[in-house]
Amino acid sequence: MAVDTLVFAAITIVYLVVTMALGYLGYRHTRETEDYLVAGRRIHPAILALSYGATFISTSAIVGFGGVAGQLGMGLIWLTVFNIGVGIFIAFVVFGTKTRELGQRMKALTFPDLMGKVYRSSFMQYATAAIIVIGMPLYTAAILIGGARFIEETLRIDYNLALLGFALIVAIYVVLGGLIAVMYTDALQGSVMLVGMTLLIFLTYITLGGVVEAHSALNAMSNLVPAALKAAGHTGWTSMPALGSPIWFTLVTTMVLGVGIGVLAQPQLIVRFMTVKDRRSLNRAVFVGGPFILMMTGVAFTVGALTNVYFYTNRNMTALEVAGGNVDKIIPAYINSVMPDIFIVIFMLALLAAAMSTLSSLFHTMGTALGYDIWVYTSEGRPSLGASQRGIVLMILVSVLLAYVMPGGIIARATAMFMGLCASAFLPAFAYGLYAKNPSTLPARVSLITGSLVWFLYTVLVHKAESEILGISKALFGTVSILPMPWPVVDPLIVALPASILALLIGIQVGKEGRSGRIPQ
Amino acid sequence: MLGIDDPQIWLGYLLAIGFALWCLLYGLLNWNRGEGGDGS
Repeated sequence: MAVDTLVFAAITIVYLVVTMALGYLGYRHTRETEDYLVAGRRIHPAILALSYGATFISTSAIVGFGGVAGQLGMGLIWLTVFNIGVGIFIAFVVFGTKTRELGQRMKALTFPDLMGKVYRSSFMQYATAAIIVIGMPLYTAAILIGGARFIEETLRIDYNLALLGFALIVAIYVVLGGLIAVMYTDALQGSVMLVGMTLLIFLTYITLGGVVEAHSALNAMSNLVPAALKAAGHTGWTSMPALGSPIWFTLVTTMVLGVGIGVLAQPQLIVRFMTVKDRRSLNRAVFVGGPFILMMTGVAFTVGALTNVYFYTNRNMTALEVAGGNVDKIIPAYINSVMPDIFIVIFMLALLAAAMSTLSSLFHTMGTALGYDIWVYTSEGRPSLGASQRGIVLMILVSVLLAYVMPGGIIARATAMFMGLCASAFLPAFAYGLYAKNPSTLPARVSLITGSLVWFLYTVLVHKAESEILGISKALFGTVSILPMPWPVVDPLIVALPASILALLIGIQVGKEGRSGRIPQ
Repeated sequence: MLGIDDPQIWLGYLLAIGFALWCLLYGLLNWNRGEGGDGS
């Protein structure tokens, strides 16, 4: 890193002190289980919007997906379209209002609790909690590793110390202060991210001579696309990949649709809708949330693509060549090459904030799924703050251990995998439970099981990006993917979500004798 | 448009910025709607 490590360390310490102070504020405001699990249902709309956005956008969304834009170009802007249109507007207006209303009426305290109460089914609560407890540590470990690697490089400290220190600092305020602490600190972290990304887009266009000049220069670089990428469908950094090519399928099905739709069924985001007291708060949060996401992913993807102009003008190389073929290094290489020292510090802090905000929410969600939904209800104990805290501590330990043993290849895939699993397993049943007048349990059960199973089988046996690393398909059938092209590059969500919807519809038709769902109004 | 030839890309930018503006407008127009209780 170009900037003085001591300067960054000093600013980081100030930031951490403020973070811990907000965590302490959360601790002081937490008196009962409802405070700990849904922030007492009295969170300010601006805090909700920033917290939702900061949780939604992890470091990998900025550095990882920004780097992918450096490799594949501006087509990723369609993910921003989905991030705002689906991830904010539909999420808040269609799903959020009903989630808040039912959550408040049924006194639901977690996402699995809501599913259990909507369907009056302990199976739905346990199954939802079990998928979170099994699937979420993979995603959490990926965020932990990303954060620790970043701290190791910027502060030049030992990786193991960075990993444990990072987990411990976040753990302290999550365990003690619950969701109030998580959301207060998220709001701070979201604000830091907003400052960092705003500076990034302005400085980029200034450096490249203006908006039209920068885009035109990138437009003129289409003849520089490497042969291998060209053969896979890359047509240039300001155009979409060739329709139906492997890159097109990856961009459209995994990134745009997979991540864009997957966000609707993320338990750590859904629980936030239950933290506000009325619909008005959700409307106001939309006001902040839409522009916030535009400034996060919209900026990351645009700057990611434009790094090619900077590197070609100054070094006669594409961004991917400068990064040695590693897309994750494109954004850091660009920041370090072009930005003034003070900006590097702000941007690094924004990345640390992005990792912390996502990590804290994941710790809280999976810990409460274990400590509240599974532990308390299976042992018939009384819901208590202590049980949730023990659940969180246990899940943090599992995630840290996983961070040490997980294979590198799977870590890179963990975000898309978790989003795909959540959408396939939960989305149809969640939507049906929210909007059906009298939802029955059978269709929801069938949908949840079908979605999870199809997603799992497709991931293990067909989708090359995962099946190659897992090696199960190779061991069983002697091939990485059991289906021909284009299926190995089509995201599991594209198959598993329709299967889950179909199972729900069939379940509704054949399961009219299923138990009546919602509590009478 | 703005130095980008492919309509699929600038349409994406138009929609992304349009949705963000729509969120602003929606929030403003519904600023005081749904106050208190279930507020639907």
